[in-house]
Amino acid sequence: MEGLWNNIDYAASVVLFLIGLYAVIAKGNLVKKLMGLNVMETAVFAFVMATGIVTGGDAPILGAGAHEPFANPLPQALILTGIVVALSTTALALSLIIRIYERHGTIESEDLWGVE
Amino acid sequence: MRRAFVIALLVLASVPLLYGVGQLPPIGSTDNPTYTHVVPRYIQQAEEEAGAENIVTAIILNYRGYDTNGEVTVIFTALVAVLGVLMITRSDSGPSVPISPVPVSPVTRFIVRTLSPFILMFSVYMVLYGHSSPGGGFQGGTIVGALLIVLSLVTESADVQRLLPPAVKVWLQPAAVLAFGVIGIAGLLLVGSYLAFPVEGDLVFLRVPWLTVIEVGIGVGGAVIVASIFWAMEGSA
Repeated sequence: MEGLWNNIDYAASVVLFLIGLYAVIAKGNLVKKLMGLNVMETAVFAFVMATGIVTGGDAPILGAGAHEPFANPLPQALILTGIVVALSTTALALSLIIRIYERHGTIESEDLWGVE
Repeated sequence: MRRAFVIALLVLASVPLLYGVGQLPPIGSTDNPTYTHVVPRYIQQAEEEAGAENIVTAIILNYRGYDTNGEVTVIFTALVAVLGVLMITRSDSGPSVPISPVPVSPVTRFIVRTLSPFILMFSVYMVLYGHSSPGGGFQGGTIVGALLIVLSLVTESADVQRLLPPAVKVWLQPAAVLAFGVIGIAGLLLVGSYLAFPVEGDLVFLRVPWLTVIEVGIGVGGAVIVASIFWAMEGSA
């Protein structure tokens, strides 16, 4: 239990992840489902970023005034890549939703059961 | 009923996840496993080996350059896919997406127009100084893309799109991929392998210009791609 309290940042990402998962499972609107997926992605980004936190750490930029210890630069670089991929998948999913609306006049997943 | 079931399921799922994160090493220590393998080398030698004061930029464009090259290809492919999905000939019978009837407030329009030169200046600074200060191509490019989208929302979208004629746009959209290709082949010819940066010798002065070329390519390409995706979706509305 004490370990969980020390890692409260990780626990916050878990809660955020489950909120996103709730939207993906429980909401019928496709746009809301997609936003839930985005919340889940953000939770993963926050989790990986939290692994790079260093108490009292400086930004990982060398030059005048920089001092040890530095925050971990590797998660920042990885998540920058991840954000761009998340943007790409969101854009593609939104355009597919636009096409679904144009074809069937609805984006409620329950109304889309059985349509061709 | 269904909602209660989903919430119960999620609470059940949270138990192993929270137990797992409770067992992880505490946040904030430099003894954490994420900090002990390759990171010390990045921090000690990034400036010497990669020529960038910003270690994140050094990792993105030098140590993990192939990864970033693939990433800009992913976002360009996403643009191609979005255009493909939205541009194919559609049946006329389907309903179109309704547009919000609320007019744009003149206050909003004035503030956006007044601030836009400063936003543009800030993003150019972020792109050009990404190797030695916070920022970089993706960040600056996204700001320009967001600026183009906001301008499209508060003014006539066609006026904003006229800034980028189609003949120019098709060359700016793959700018990031093209910049990586040019620098990659330059590395192949001058240093010996694709996307290699000179570490020592007479060519070391080339590192900062090469970083800047890639950053500008990523910035321009990212901005145009983000705005093009928005315009494609808007055009189908």
